[in-house]
This record gives sequence, C-alpha cells and structure tokens, in this order.
Amino acid sequence: MGYCLDQAGFNQILNEWSKEYFVYAPKLFKDGGSFSDTDRIRYGEIHTVEEIVFDRKSDYSYKEILLPLSQTLFFFTDDMVKEADLPKKGAVILLRSCDLHAVKRLDEIYLQNGCEDYYYKRLRDRVKFILIGCQHSFENCFCVDMGTNRIDNYDAYIEMKNGEIYVDNHNDVWKPLFTTYSRRTPEVIPAYATENKTHIHIPDGITPDIAHSKIWDEYDSRCINCGRCNFVCPTCTCFTMQDIFYVDNGKVGERRRVWASCMVDGFTDVAGGGCYRKKNGQRMRFKVLHKVYDYKKRNGYHMCVGCGRCDDICPEYISFSNSINKLDAAIKEVSINAVK
Amino acid sequence: MDVNTKKMKKNAFRVTKHRGFTASRIRVPGGYLEAKYLGMIQNIAETYGNGIVNITTRQGFEIPGIKFADMPKVNELIQPIIEGLDINQEVLGQGYTASGTRNVTACVGNNVCPYACYNTSLFAKKIEKAIFPNDLYFKVALTGCPNDCAKVRMHDFGIMGMTLPQYDKERCVNCGACVKACTKKSVSALATVNCKVVRDAHKCIGCGECVLNCPTGAWTRSHEKYFRLTIFGRTGKKNPRLGEDFIKWADEASIIKIICNTYDYVKNYIDPLAPGGKEHIGYIVDRTGFEEFKKWALKDVQFPANAEINTPIYWKGIKY
Amino acid sequence: MQSNEYLPFLSEIKAVIKHTDIEYTFRLTYEGNVKPGQFFEVSIPKYGEAPISVSGIGSGTVDLTIRRVGKVTNEIFERYVGDKLFMRGPYGNGFDIDSYKEKELVVIAGGTGLSPVKGIVDYFCSHSQDTKGMTLIAGFKTPKDILFREEFVHWQQKMNVILTVDSAENDTTCKVGLVTEYIPQLHLNNVNEAAAIVVGPPMMMKFTTQGLLKRGFHEENIWISHERKMCCGIGKCGHCKIDDTYVCLDGPVFNFVKGRQLLD
Repeated sequence: MGYCLDQAGFNQILNEWSKEYFVYAPKLFKDGGSFSDTDRIRYGEIHTVEEIVFDRKSDYSYKEILLPLSQTLFFFTDDMVKEADLPKKGAVILLRSCDLHAVKRLDEIYLQNGCEDYYYKRLRDRVKFILIGCQHSFENCFCVDMGTNRIDNYDAYIEMKNGEIYVDNHNDVWKPLFTTYSRRTPEVIPAYATENKTHIHIPDGITPDIAHSKIWDEYDSRCINCGRCNFVCPTCTCFTMQDIFYVDNGKVGERRRVWASCMVDGFTDVAGGGCYRKKNGQRMRFKVLHKVYDYKKRNGYHMCVGCGRCDDICPEYISFSNSINKLDAAIKEVSINAVK
Repeated sequence: MDVNTKKMKKNAFRVTKHRGFTASRIRVPGGYLEAKYLGMIQNIAETYGNGIVNITTRQGFEIPGIKFADMPKVNELIQPIIEGLDINQEVLGQGYTASGTRNVTACVGNNVCPYACYNTSLFAKKIEKAIFPNDLYFKVALTGCPNDCAKVRMHDFGIMGMTLPQYDKERCVNCGACVKACTKKSVSALATVNCKVVRDAHKCIGCGECVLNCPTGAWTRSHEKYFRLTIFGRTGKKNPRLGEDFIKWADEASIIKIICNTYDYVKNYIDPLAPGGKEHIGYIVDRTGFEEFKKWALKDVQFPANAEINTPIYWKGIKY
Repeated sequence: MQSNEYLPFLSEIKAVIKHTDIEYTFRLTYEGNVKPGQFFEVSIPKYGEAPISVSGIGSGTVDLTIRRVGKVTNEIFERYVGDKLFMRGPYGNGFDIDSYKEKELVVIAGGTGLSPVKGIVDYFCSHSQDTKGMTLIAGFKTPKDILFREEFVHWQQKMNVILTVDSAENDTTCKVGLVTEYIPQLHLNNVNEAAAIVVGPPMMMKFTTQGLLKRGFHEENIWISHERKMCCGIGKCGHCKIDDTYVCLDGPVFNFVKGRQLLD
C-alpha cells in the first residue's frame, strides 16, 4: 500500500525503527574519498532521512552490513572457544534494485552452497530491505541488460519527490506506523531504470577453453591487482580467516574473517609457496567468468547484477562491462585455434 | 633619459641589458589563473613589448622589450590582471606596489593532482594576501605533498601538504596495499601486526599513500589539513642550502603567522648596508643565531595540538 | 538455531611420528566417519587454520601428516603427546574405497601427495582379497624426504611397490627417476578395467595422468586429488573455487573426467 509522508513524519518512523533496528543507507562521508577534498558515499547508520543520499550511487554496496569487512567469529583460549556476540539489533537496509538482486547471490553462497553459514544466517534473519527507486540510470550501470533493474520482494519501497517521501509498504508489521505518520495514501509504483547507456552482451557458448584466449593478456599489465573491483562488488563473497593472538596473552585470541579478493596477491597461495593464479590477466579472467559464466553453471543465473561499481572505482580505468563484451570475440578466437 | 631605477624595480619593471628597454613582471600566485588573462598578456607583449612572453621560474610572466616610456601604459593594461588575480595594490592603475617579496609559487595541487593533500592555489593566494606588497626579499613556495614537485626546500618558506591518516581497523582486510606502498614509495611507517596495520606516528610524513592505496576505505584523510614548514632553503652565490624542517603538522594559520612574524624579524635585523636592501634571511639567522629567530617567529603562534617543532636547526649546503 | 560449523572441537594428540626433519604425522582423537582424501581444518597455535588431509584412519583416531612449510604449519611441531589441538571437519568427498575394489589399482603419489592416498594403500594392504592387483608408485625428491618408511617395508610384502627419488645423492637403496618413468612398464592384466589414483604437485599430476592415458587407462578410471587453498572448508570463502567447482565441497578428490577440466 502507498503512503506519502513529510520528512518529519518519516523521521518519526526511523526513530521507531531504531528501537529494534539499525537503519543503514548510503550516506555521505565528508572528506572520505581517496583524494583530498573528496567525499565518499557508502553505507552507514542513519537517523534521519536527510542523511540518505538518494541522487548518487554509493561507491561501496550494502553488503558490508550482512558481511562485515572484518568479522570476529569466536574467541579462544588454549582449550575453549566462545562464539562472538550477535549485534544488539537487527537491520533495515535501504538499497537499489541491483543490490537487492545481489542479496539473492549472497544468500545462494551463504545459505545454500554447502551448509548454512551460521554467522550470515543469524544476521540475515533479522534484516529488512527498503528499495530505493532509480528514476534514471547512473554512469556505468547495466542493470537493464542483466535483468536486475526491477524487483518486488522488498519490505518497503521509498522515493523522495519534491521534499516528500513516497512509500510502498509490503510489510504488514509496519502498516500501523505508516498509517500514523503519513499525510496521504497515494498509489506508489517503484521507479526503475528502463535504459542504461552501457550495454553488455553475454554470449552463449562460453567454455572453459576461453581461458586460452588472448583477451586476458592486456590485463597482465593494465591491472594493478588492488581488489577494488571485488570490494565494491555487491555479489563478491570471498573471505579469508585470520587468527589473532593477543599481545599480552599469546594463548588467548580470536578468529576473524575478513573480505578477500581474487585479484589481490595471496588469494590462491597454498602452503609451501604455490600460487595458482599469478598473472593479473588470469585473475581478471577468473573474476569475469565467475560473474557471467561459471556461477550460472552452478546456480542457474548470472552472478553479476550490473551495478557498474567496479567500473566506477577502477583506478586504472579497466571496464568490467567492456571485458564482458570481448567474450564473443574470445569464443571465436579459441574455436578457430582449436580447429588449427 | 632620467629614470629612477629603484622606483622602477619596486614597480616590477626590470632593468634589462638593453638600454632604455624594460620587462614587465606579472605575478601569478600559485601559477593559477583564468585563461582569459593570457589574452591580456599577449596584448601587452604585442602592443608595447617585442611580441615575446617569458614564463618565469617563479610561475609569473615577464614581458620584455618594453620602452621605458611605455611603463605607465603597461601599468594601465595590467590593472585588470592585478585586480582579477586579487593582488594587493596601494595605488590603483599604477602597477605593482612592490617586487621584493617574490611571487608565491605552488605545484598544481589538489585541483588536479591525486597526491596533493590540499588546494595549493588557494593557500598560495591566502599567503600572497597576507604578505604582499613588501619590499623584503622573501621567497615562499607551496607543494601538495612530500614529493615536493614545487621544490619548496629551495625557498625561504617551504610548505608541504600532509594528511593525518585515519585508520578504521574494522574496514581493514589486511590486503597489504598500504604497507607495500608506504614501504616502497614512502618512509616505511606502516607495519602489519596481528593482521591489522600499525602506523609509526613519528616516522609518518603524512603523504597519504596509505589512503590512496587502500581499496576499502579503511584509511582516510583527516578533515584537518596539515603542513610541514621548511625554512631558509635558498639558491645563491655564497651558500646554497636546502630548507630544513621547522614545523611538522602545522596548520594554515600558524604558517601565515610565522611568515608574517619573520618579516618583523628581518625588518629588525637586516643588514642596513645590504646591497639593494636584499639579504637572504638565512644569512640573517646565521648572524643572530637560531634562537633569536625562533623567538620572533613563534610569537603568538597557536599550533595544532599535534604539531612538532624542530629546534634548534642547523643548515648544511655548499659553502664557497 | 543451526549448528555453527566454524567452531572447532578439541582433539588430543595420541602419537607424534616423525618421518623427516620437516614432516610429522600427528595421531589425533576423532570419533566419526572419515574417508581417505578428506581433510580437516586444523588450528595451528600461534598462527591459524590449515587444511590437512587424512593420512590414516584408526579406531577413534585420525592421522594428519603435516609438512613444515611456510609459517602456517610451523607451530604445530612444538606439540607433544597429550597436548590438544582445535580442529574441524572432516571436509571434502574423499576417496570411495568401493570404486577400487575388485580391480587392478595403481596409486601414484608425489611427495606429501602420499598422505591423502595412504588410507587407500593401507586398506588394500590389509584387505588383499578385495583387489585384483595393487601397485604403489611413490616419488620423493631425495631419500631424506621419504615419508612412511616403516609402512613401505610393510606394503612391499603385500603389493608391488616402486619407491623412487628424483635424486639419490649417495643413497643406493632407492630407485632414481620420476614416477612417470614406471608407467609404461606397468604390468596389468586388463588396462581397460584398471583404476589409478594420482596425487602430487600440479606438474607431476599433469605428466602422470598423461602417461596413464598413453598406457591405455580410461579417463573415467583415473582419480586425482586437488590441493588448493581451502580456507573455510564449507563452500563459502571462495579460495578453492575453480570454474564452477568448489574443491572443498565437490573434491578434493575428482574423477579425471571432471578433474582434467579444472583450470585455475
């Protein structure tokens, strides 16, 4: 059902939610950019609607709420382990259609692939999603081609128009709240991008042989294996375990997991010094194929949701979408070479 | 021809090797100007000069080949440049009021450069406003980061941008990029301890490489802008020397105050017989001793809490 | 709520067997089903977890053979009988003994690659009625690197054992040469039915499987085990993924038909 609220009314609702939830939304971190006098838009806790950045894409995605960059799993002594506490409250996350599609990808890995992930599950069970409308596409977005520009499995939809907040609520528990604080009950239909400037075409007929294509070679030198593309990606899920032994008592410590990147050195290192993907081109190939080929082979749909953040952030101006568009030629190249 | 060369030089016209011909010097603080002024400079060069413009080593323009007689006309034409660049002026329409304190130079800074820790052009303008016009021979230069592309250590006052890195360990994934960058490109102030990064505050020069290389935003810049102030570097005939560190983690206000205080100090101690009223500040400090300089320079200066003052300072360099 | 697979359990060290200066087997208490080729994530004091494959299965114990390489597996060498270690697992699919019964079986192992297949060798050593002929080709760098020396003596009585080293230095008791050199001369009654297991460093596996195919082995009768950086062991962390395959979930043991396609 649709509602129209003024900012004060919506802030009342945020206040009500804050009893039970941390509310997270893209917000502006002043001077938070890499370069001086530049800001960063990323997820953070908000208390008022004014803090929400509606008109720009966040540099990093919502995923850090479900998968913290650095998460303590448990504490240990020589002969005991103690599980880390759960956050005190659940979470309400405001996010765009592409990112809500990405949640399905996180769920696939953390709830399906093998056993359920205990730490993910216990957070995930207490999360509500509010869809932010996209009145237009942003730079580098290719959600339309990925089919992720629309979604309807949200708890609520939110849109800011002429200083008023329009909401479409799907969550019955929230109905009284919205009824109390709304001014009107217009019909609210989620806005979504219908056209992107960036287009991609994922060819059928990719085979593992595409690894032998020359298209990957240019990335050996162009890519600096910093991992930004992975860290901003709403669907990248890899992590590395770390054991920390406290300095004052070396027998006591904690085990954490931190985000890992398949582009960064060390990802495929095994004991004894072996490394399975040394060249940046190989790493690029591994990443690209995971996003638009092998994930689908395993799970039935593509991993990439077309948010374009990897293109937005790459310091070397490597375009992921452009690398997808080279796959057609790569297929032809390896098939011709196979005939030879 | 009867021309007061002292007055002429003070008015930023050079006595050249060509008798009766002068060169007009246009000051451009920080080397930062709107392109429209280039047209005006062109016009002066083609109307009253010999059609040539020299880009000076101090980021100004020098228009040679001007007849002494045309100086008033040139001053009329440079008036919009003086006003447009917001240069302090005592008498409107009469050109530059002084030339002793040289154009404040700066690297391109954070208007363009990713390494720069602040807006060098803006700070250059602020300093220019605070110190010009003045007949004393001061050279001030600003550079965005410790790479020191502006070679500020060759100046009386060198200002080098710094940022105080802020570390959010919850965003750190131990990728090692900052440690690697700091080790290979900077001063090895970072080390990995227990899968997180520890910064040696004493070693850190605030270059921002950690922030630039951090892929997750675990390292960010401080809201406050900080500077390293180096003093009394110089070229010259007797004893060219590199500027030495005076203040680390200074702020804008403290730097401006120190420079202004130094004018008072120089006024008081300059050799009254110095040829052309021109004496390198460094020689004056050699004469009075560093402590006397420091007493004057730090008068009423309010530093940020984390500022470090390096004292006493000894200069090296080549002595002839 | 569901169980927390990340929490390790304590296991007591029942025995420490030193093979070489850098390779020890730890016999640890473990009650539960486990197969050769599966692995445990062992918490190494002062460091962190490392995936270690099962090199022997006893009643109420598992053997984990650990090589002192890198920092990861160093601290454990300071542990003694009666000490306890945290571990979790077993993970992975392991070798299915039934697939090799009533067949001629050739096991080819390089270096520590012998650990994951040792359970198979042990089984057919003690159940010789279940095999139509068993050959073990094991290669090591030098005589000093040879693992399970005592077991070799025992195995030699029950099966065809070829123990070879890349370089013998002054030792004359070992054969010298690569494991691949012994494949062409393998005596087999029916290569069409024979099975082979290959575990070792990537290059060794590549050339050994090539040799087996040349010798007439069918692809579907060859099994390999992939070593990768298995960090979580439960299909989450992504380090061991190759193409659409998670080595920790779908392997580390693969039939060669699948395994040969796994290109990092």
